[in-house]
Amino acid sequence: MSKSIEAMWKQGFVSEGELSAPKVNDLYNRKSQNIVDKLQNMFAVNIKAIVIGALVMLVVMSLIGAPWLGLYICVLLAPLVLIARKELTKSHNLSKGQSSLEYLESFDTWLKNSMDTYSKYYRFFYPLFYIGMVTQGLASNAGGKVMALLLKHYPTEYVLLEIPGYVWAVITVLFLLVVRYSEALYRLDLDIIYGRQFKKLEELITDMRALKAQ
Amino acid sequence: MGSDFYQQSILPFAGIIIKICRAYTHSQEDFEDYYQEVCLQIWRSRDNFNAESKWSTWIYKVALNVCLTHLKQRKKGEQQFVSDALPDEVHDDAKAFGSDELNLLYNAIKHLSEIDRAVILLYLEEKSYAEIGEIIGANTNSIGVRITRIKERLNKFIQAQE
Repeated sequence: MSKSIEAMWKQGFVSEGELSAPKVNDLYNRKSQNIVDKLQNMFAVNIKAIVIGALVMLVVMSLIGAPWLGLYICVLLAPLVLIARKELTKSHNLSKGQSSLEYLESFDTWLKNSMDTYSKYYRFFYPLFYIGMVTQGLASNAGGKVMALLLKHYPTEYVLLEIPGYVWAVITVLFLLVVRYSEALYRLDLDIIYGRQFKKLEELITDMRALKAQ
Repeated sequence: MGSDFYQQSILPFAGIIIKICRAYTHSQEDFEDYYQEVCLQIWRSRDNFNAESKWSTWIYKVALNVCLTHLKQRKKGEQQFVSDALPDEVHDDAKAFGSDELNLLYNAIKHLSEIDRAVILLYLEEKSYAEIGEIIGANTNSIGVRITRIKERLNKFIQAQE
């Protein structure tokens, strides 16, 4: 080797003009497309997971002797799959012929509308899911034995369908809680799965708005 | 980013950013992405700059941090905006600039660990040990020994290539 690395470095940059800077204009375009792609992929995977989950639930429930509950859950989840597919198609139909910021903003608007649509669905899903689980629990042999045991140890004159009144009271209170907090449950669920990506999306939009305002 | 800020505060130091980004990327696309990301980070964090150190030192810090952060993210599979090329596989299709010798040197640098790359780049840019220590957050006393070791490795690599 004829030259030291210091000389190679120094002489290599003798012509500083060769260090031409790339244009700073395309990063946000790519970033915005990437975050949208990532979220859309996650939504698509989620739809598949729901379908597979529903089928697995049907099989598992059938195996443990509760095929009707399995079927009931499948029926409950079917509208979710349809809604999710419809919503995802809407997101794919968003116009890409806009600036990155406009595109992200329209995606964000779609996301919020979509979440509102899901919220409406989950307001029914969680209470109905709860009713299905409770019904199955009470109708099962194990449930019957538990009720008999309860009546034996805590007898009461208020009994309906062989279920003590206090159990009905607990079931009702829980039902009201599920109804009251079904939307919060959905938001929590959403936050666990997508929270990080949503935050990134928000940050990106804030950043781009700040850049635009400069 | 305001074009005034870019013209006045970044463009005069573009050489620093280019030199660093080139050492941490293996394709032209990655190089341009990293360059742009560094520029954006400088703009974003401009309020954090305190005049205790030079603006150019600040640019070195931001450029290195951005490159190291993105390499880390990429390794974790969380890479957000650059292509999927593996970082440690050196297949340099970045647009070559400078002499063949310079490209050979860059190729050798890319075989170093991420931190060693930063150290040698700063050394080659004639930064003092104190400044290198400040930029990479290392003990100044260890810098000299580290540089000697890195240079030996680079020389060996270059000799093997020649």
